[in-house]
Amino acid sequence: MDFTFTQEQTMLREALSRFLGQHYTFEKRRRIVATPAGQSPEVWGQLRDMGLLALPLPESAGGLGGSIVDVVAVAELLGQHLVVEPWLASAVLSAGLLAKRGETRLPALLEGEATAAFAYEEGSGTADLAQVAMRAAATATGHVLNGEKHLVLGAEAASVLLVTARLPDGRLGLFLVDRDAPGLSLRSYTTIDGRRAAHCRFEDVAAGPDALVDADAEAAVAGAVRAATLALCAEAVGAMGALLEITASYAGTRKQFGVPIGSFQVIAHRLADMKLAYVKARSLLLYTAALAENDAASPRDVSLLKAQVGRLGRALGESAVQIHGGVGMTDELSVGHYLKRILFVDTVFGPSDYHLQRVGAAQPA
Amino acid sequence: MNIDFGPELAAFRAEVAAFLDTAPTPAIREAGRKTTSVFAPFEQVMAWQKILHARGWAAPGWPAEHGGTGWSVEQRYVFAEEYWKRDLPPLLPNGLGMVGPLLMELGSDEQKAKYLPGILSGDDYWTQGYSEPGAGSDLAGLSCSAVADGDDYVINGSKIWTTLAHKANRMFMLVRTSREGKKQQGITFLLLDRVDYPGMEIRPIIGLDGIPEQCEVFFTNVRVPQSGRVGAENDGWTVAKALLKHERGGSAQSPAMYRKLEQLRAAAAATPSPNGGTFADDPVFQRDLGELEAEIASYAAFEKMVLTGHPIGRDPAMPSMNKVMSSELGQRVSVLMTRLAGINGLPLQLSALEVGSGFDPLGTAHDLVAMPYYLNSRATTIYAGTNEVQRDLIARTLPVG
Ligand SMILES: Cc1cc2nc3c(=O)[nH]c(=O)nc-3n(C[C@H](O)[C@H](O)[C@H](O)COP(=O)(O)OP(=O)(O)OC[C@H]3O[C@@H](n4cnc5c(N)ncnc54)[C@H](O)[C@@H]3O)c2cc1C
Repeated sequence: MDFTFTQEQTMLREALSRFLGQHYTFEKRRRIVATPAGQSPEVWGQLRDMGLLALPLPESAGGLGGSIVDVVAVAELLGQHLVVEPWLASAVLSAGLLAKRGETRLPALLEGEATAAFAYEEGSGTADLAQVAMRAAATATGHVLNGEKHLVLGAEAASVLLVTARLPDGRLGLFLVDRDAPGLSLRSYTTIDGRRAAHCRFEDVAAGPDALVDADAEAAVAGAVRAATLALCAEAVGAMGALLEITASYAGTRKQFGVPIGSFQVIAHRLADMKLAYVKARSLLLYTAALAENDAASPRDVSLLKAQVGRLGRALGESAVQIHGGVGMTDELSVGHYLKRILFVDTVFGPSDYHLQRVGAAQPA
Repeated sequence: MNIDFGPELAAFRAEVAAFLDTAPTPAIREAGRKTTSVFAPFEQVMAWQKILHARGWAAPGWPAEHGGTGWSVEQRYVFAEEYWKRDLPPLLPNGLGMVGPLLMELGSDEQKAKYLPGILSGDDYWTQGYSEPGAGSDLAGLSCSAVADGDDYVINGSKIWTTLAHKANRMFMLVRTSREGKKQQGITFLLLDRVDYPGMEIRPIIGLDGIPEQCEVFFTNVRVPQSGRVGAENDGWTVAKALLKHERGGSAQSPAMYRKLEQLRAAAAATPSPNGGTFADDPVFQRDLGELEAEIASYAAFEKMVLTGHPIGRDPAMPSMNKVMSSELGQRVSVLMTRLAGINGLPLQLSALEVGSGFDPLGTAHDLVAMPYYLNSRATTIYAGTNEVQRDLIARTLPVG
């Protein structure tokens, strides 16, 4: 057994850390979030140059054939630096699903010239594909899509949307739809954690024969969502690590009553609990990633990870705010932004309560 | 013991209900529904205070001689219940709940005559200038200084976390007037007639919820009259401690919590659970809602002990216990709210939250307020003395060591 990153992974992480530390400061991120697009073509190009867009894709599709551990190794750092670029939505989820069939639009995604968005959520807030109800009715020339998709990350900036919908035979279909397709309307917004997303309404959106990427997409989508869940958990763990460090160092320098607040036992113990939470979450992340790399991560394993990261992450984030006192409540400090990123991660693909209930209710296999 | 609220209260309840059903304007009701902080939307809540004042009901807790209602404890409780049932915006606490009662206790006759009417009517709003960048929990370490000069003080320094300073027209503050002796002994309590004196500068601070509520206030050679001093020079710590009593306890908050519980129940029944059915059918959510109700029941009973003068309420730790219990209950409520909102709590919806914007929210009215309420509630265990400091104070009333 060995759960350390490989030498290659470590080198990539060092390079990425250096890049983000120098070129993705919190101030820079704030400026990017404030732009109309809410993401930076410059940063996207730099991530491409570092090979991150190709990393998750198989070599057969022009990618680097990275494993789930590679994805986790990168995502943790993106979380640590609160990167808002749509790496997960576009490069991991969407490109990954497109790679399966040698899609012609893949090169543009790999080159960083375009991004794709993944439209699966219909309001249940979970990754449960049984809850996908959007209909794809058959027509003479293909299908027509009707329904609504919630919280489609990076939709506005994307050139194409990957859309899950029920086919007439009840199977799950995966469609590729142009973002400006007639009948598709977007209500765009910013999320609490500074990302762009949209509520998408499909009204008789025509999907020609070419648009059906996969006529039996259940397994592929489930796999992609599982990978995305691990990547999201890795981001949250990265955020937890950053919060622990920032908060510990604040407690060492902030003085009240003539002493650093970290010298008050209640603060010291709170910091200790934060560290325990971080170590529990990160250990389970690395272990689950190793399972997944060996095709041995069951849905139950993923539920356990998602639940722990959400629950422990929330507690850690709330402690970080409390230890900072008033200044922790401001938009000016990164602390609250980390908390909100963690809240986002806990909320999507099923919150911790949901996963805990599933784990508790089901016998282990 | 007597738990009877008395039959004569039924008539009183009907009178209150009739007024609260008709008096608030639609904008005031909207502000109530969109309140995501202890501080309700400013313009509407101040307009509402004026309406209540015209009816003589702006200050249920004030004695009649100062324009209060003269109501009994039971009547006040009934009023609070009817008030919260209708989701009306809570009146802002600083004037009615803090500086007003303080002036009644320690202000000069002149100060009472000058300031109490404006506090009651809602013509004035007072912001609280205590905390400084270097002086939070250790408030006595404050350094913003006031130097006597003729009939004035000249103030230099800064204050921070000054809630609604950008909306206020008056300020009460603590300043350092001496650096000799114990640090508590060199502090003076001042009332400022304006917040736009030459040399004063106010910078709003945006919070986690994206809303500017707190401010930073800078003073450069700001000249204010000494007649605004409450108590003696260098005796401001005593004055501040007297005011703290009012800040940390004594009002009827449990009706508000019961209302939140009712709202949670309604939202749970209307929200599909990922496990099938609604959240109201979900055993885990049921259990958590039950726990919340049990905690609220304890708090409501505690509050009744306090309001009726029971020995439990005369415990020296009462204000700190009240503060810890109520702040942590509010946070618990807010967590359940975000659980129900789920992914609908993730969009930032500042336009839809604005009163009168006419902007349709994504999701339900509950979804709209859940996340901002949760984020804003994180502050309740920080302000008015952090809960860590309150627990220290509670511990000190026990015979340990
Ligand atoms: C939303 C909001 C509104 C506010 N409104 C106002 C206002 O209107 N006017 C005003 O004057 N102030 C206001 N405040 C300021 C508030 O009173 C202070 O934030 C509070 O006193 C804590 O001070 P601090 O923020 O400097 O934190 P610090 O005192 O630096 O505390 C940081 C951490 O250290 C802990 N700590 C500090 N001392 C001890 C100790 N002795 N033992 C154990 N733990 C300790 C604290 O509990 C906290 O967790 C507001 C604050 C907030 C968040």
